[in-house]
Amino acid sequence: MPLPHPPPRTPGVAGARLFASLPPPPPSPLQSRREVHVWYVCPDELNDRSQLDMYMDLLSPSERNNALSMNGPRLQKDAMLSRALLRTTLSRYSKIDPRSFDFKKNKFGKPEILWRSDDSNMEWPLHFNISHTSSLIACGIAMDVPIGIDVEEKKRKTTKSILSLARRYFTPSEVEFLAKIADSDAQQKEFIKLWTLKEAYVKALGRGFSGAPFNRFSIQLETNSRIQISKAPKACNDSDSGDYLSENWRFALAELNSSYYMAVCIEDNSRGFENGPVPLGLKVWKTIPFIEDTLVSGTDAVKLIT
Amino acid sequence: MAHSLAAASSFSPPAARRRLPGQVTNVISSRSLVSFNSQRMNFTSTRSRPSQLRFKICCSAKKETVDRVCNIVKKQLALPEGTAVTGDSKFSELGADSLDTVEIVMGLEEEFNITVDETSAQDIATVQDAANLIEKLVVEKAA
Repeated sequence: MPLPHPPPRTPGVAGARLFASLPPPPPSPLQSRREVHVWYVCPDELNDRSQLDMYMDLLSPSERNNALSMNGPRLQKDAMLSRALLRTTLSRYSKIDPRSFDFKKNKFGKPEILWRSDDSNMEWPLHFNISHTSSLIACGIAMDVPIGIDVEEKKRKTTKSILSLARRYFTPSEVEFLAKIADSDAQQKEFIKLWTLKEAYVKALGRGFSGAPFNRFSIQLETNSRIQISKAPKACNDSDSGDYLSENWRFALAELNSSYYMAVCIEDNSRGFENGPVPLGLKVWKTIPFIEDTLVSGTDAVKLIT
Repeated sequence: MAHSLAAASSFSPPAARRRLPGQVTNVISSRSLVSFNSQRMNFTSTRSRPSQLRFKICCSAKKETVDRVCNIVKKQLALPEGTAVTGDSKFSELGADSLDTVEIVMGLEEEFNITVDETSAQDIATVQDAANLIEKLVVEKAA
């Protein structure tokens, strides 16, 4: 659906309906640095023209231009929704008007919020990360720690074979793990799980793909559902002597709506008083911003794998 | 994703990385390639106007290379019939996500029999950038 010319920026009014200028805050705020909230939209379900107009209105001029430069109406709509989702989500946690946020990029290109000195609402800065698939756009939010999120369709078809992709991009131990899986569907699912976990880590790190090449660190899903991440040993070392990055990074992996795998990764430098690894707290909402928010975590829609 | 090709999903390359078409890149590349090629002159058959040929290869890929890259990209992204993909097309605007990106890179490696490392791949923003890099790698490999 082609994007319309943006309407005048009259706060709260779009078409014949009146919308609140701030989306409602989440029922429970972020409790700690170990909690992650994820808000997602399904672009295919959002076709109401007046809604889309209103979302478009939240964007900055450069975001609008960027969305319109995408190739085709569908990609343009997705790009627009991605920014609208981000802005409305941040607004929930900060009580700042969605239109007011400014963004910058770190030196590796990772998008971040540019806070103004008078944003005194925030005790700790919000961190965010966005992931797209063609049918879902997700925004992850964390308090005071870098976050990465990746969502992928479980059954996503690859043009290259799973093992050839793994051999090219993953570590030897990950290739070995995948090669042992006889059933091709199961193998594909495990590949996608590993992919989303690795992506989430690299995005949390924020140094770009070349900052943490996929074949330099291994991720392992253990039998007790823990996720272990370790540096891939160099060729000359003993295969068991990888450096463990697990102490500093927390992961959550979930199956979403039986159709997606979603991986979230945050940095966690706390040396707490707990006896064992404390799992990352995850809450997930499906949203139609300003219209409807549905908490889906704690239901069958979100099945934690870890 | 993080992305071997710049700006594939959430990240876009910082403005500073974008190169002006045809300008700075030509100067840098042609200097390094001139010295490389001059050593090979003895072994290659005589070409008319060799210095012009060298210049052409290093700064702007042949149309044939660009076309081959376009085909690989179109196939990978399953773009609708009639979608224009040209040298100027930016990967970020074609809707390639991280998995598409790495598959495109693999497709290019197979097609041209080269290896693309992550650092080089990260600077690729357009199809033309990819084609230029490919030709550079093909020439280096033939050395």
